[in-house]
Amino acid sequence: MNVAAPVARAPRTEPTVVASAARVFDLSLGQMLWSRRSVFLAILLGGPVLLAFVVRVLSAATRFGPMQINGARVGGPAVFGMMIWLLYIRFIVPVLGVFYGTSLIADEVDDKTITYLFTRPIPRRAVLLGKYFAYVACTVLLVLPSVMLVFFLVVPSGGGSIGEGFPSLMKDFGMLAVGLLAYGAVFAFAGARLKRPLVMGLVFAFGWEPGVMLLPGYLKRLTVAYYLQALVTHQMPQDSAVSMIMQVFHEVPSVFVSLVSLAVIIAVALWAAGRAVEGREYVLDQ
Amino acid sequence: MTNVIAAEHLSKWYGQVIGLNDVTLTVPSGITGLLGPNGAGKSTFMKLVTGQLKPSKGTITVLGEPIWQNPRIYFSLGFCPEQDAFYERMTGLEWVTALVRLNGVGDREAADMAHKALESVDLLDAAHKKIGAYSKGMRQRVKMAQALAHDPDFLILDEPLAGMDPIARRKTIRMIKDWGRAGKSVLVSSHILHEIESMTANILLINQGRILAEGNVHQIRDLIDEHPHTVYIKAEQPRGLAREFLAHDDVLSLRFEDDAVVVQTARPDAFYARLTDLAASGAIGTIHEVTSPDDNLQAVFQYLVKA
Repeated sequence: MNVAAPVARAPRTEPTVVASAARVFDLSLGQMLWSRRSVFLAILLGGPVLLAFVVRVLSAATRFGPMQINGARVGGPAVFGMMIWLLYIRFIVPVLGVFYGTSLIADEVDDKTITYLFTRPIPRRAVLLGKYFAYVACTVLLVLPSVMLVFFLVVPSGGGSIGEGFPSLMKDFGMLAVGLLAYGAVFAFAGARLKRPLVMGLVFAFGWEPGVMLLPGYLKRLTVAYYLQALVTHQMPQDSAVSMIMQVFHEVPSVFVSLVSLAVIIAVALWAAGRAVEGREYVLDQ
Repeated sequence: MTNVIAAEHLSKWYGQVIGLNDVTLTVPSGITGLLGPNGAGKSTFMKLVTGQLKPSKGTITVLGEPIWQNPRIYFSLGFCPEQDAFYERMTGLEWVTALVRLNGVGDREAADMAHKALESVDLLDAAHKKIGAYSKGMRQRVKMAQALAHDPDFLILDEPLAGMDPIARRKTIRMIKDWGRAGKSVLVSSHILHEIESMTANILLINQGRILAEGNVHQIRDLIDEHPHTVYIKAEQPRGLAREFLAHDDVLSLRFEDDAVVVQTARPDAFYARLTDLAASGAIGTIHEVTSPDDNLQAVFQYLVKA
């Protein structure tokens, strides 16, 4: 051990929150991408691809005949739109948000590595922000290939055109990214503030949201899904009786209102999460 | 002499459990040892000193400033925690560099500083190996490297020698002493008096959440010497080691545990010196790990509390 080795003195100017968050992002992204959680969720994201493959095979078997959903004849682009809304926006994006968002800090606490981040000259909220952006990058990287594969498998079925559907695909990516940002921020707050964030997150995503979305009134405005549905570019088939009844209560805000509302949700949730992390003590098990 | 830590009526409770109870003390600059058995409150005190916990009652200042919610102070602090926790998939160099970058240092400069820190703990050869493949002693040393890489004024080390082999242990002790001589301050915790005493005579004795004594406590040393000291040595050739130990009358008992030998000695100083020489000579193969349970210290503390 070279005890006399000189060590350079670090500068002592406090880095900004954004600069600190960027460095935490660098540190966290690789850890997040290669975690067991990412492997599990990558397998989950294979589900829609498998389904799309089945759709493609069935469509080929019927010699590109139109598919029927709820009695309505639909083409590949409409099936793709339904998969985006029902599988990705209403299921996969909230699942990713819950599992990553609630564990942004909890994972470091469980692994007992939080000490290394909280004993550096950066505000704790920068740690949360850096890990939040690592979550966004990680989940986008997981979702993107899955959606691309589903698009290329499903859209040509029933006579759809990949070229015509491409602009819509870009909008879907935008919507998925906004969904990941919004759910991630909400669940980051839950993770920072609540004692059982995973359970509460699952109840919110799969109990509260689907429940109040079916009810008339203002409660649905207290969901993320309500604002996300305004960003859906695809027309859903509405021929069944249930769909007709649901149409009566169907209320969709404008794209502008949705985007502003989602931006407010993200900003407020992240601010509150940062505040919670700043004031909380993390006692590690010895 | 300025104080690096000042605590007044400092208490910390975890619900109904008292971690630290009404502690008032000052820690001068230089090297100070925090000595106490497991569960004595050492880790709670360390966490309060490093701003990981907020005092339930009382105040604590580090380098003259409150530490809780004061990230700026970490420019001057380096902390080596007790827990064996890392980003296992990163190499030692990547990990230390990434942590130094959090101090606002540029990429290249951070890599240079990490390189030098790894060199100073004799880990340069393994700098590009994944931490997951490190031995216990190497993991201790990479933790030390991340604590000192940004050249802090005050280094806080929680059980830094745990699990190190005798040679790394001796070198680490020397490094800590050099830090003290260079004008830095070090707070180092241990449950082994022998370790602490080899670094400093300035000791804080802690038990059951209270500071029992502080300052130069040679009397405590004499008292501890009256109790047998247990040492666990994980080695390549435990039976060869045992044969060497049996030649000396300070060894009171020996037993084997898997690939380790557990020794009771009446004179820990002489025993550790001999063990280090044996390890350096390589005559009895590699010594992987040396640890000491706190039974002997616990007995002394029980005696002190009763007295």
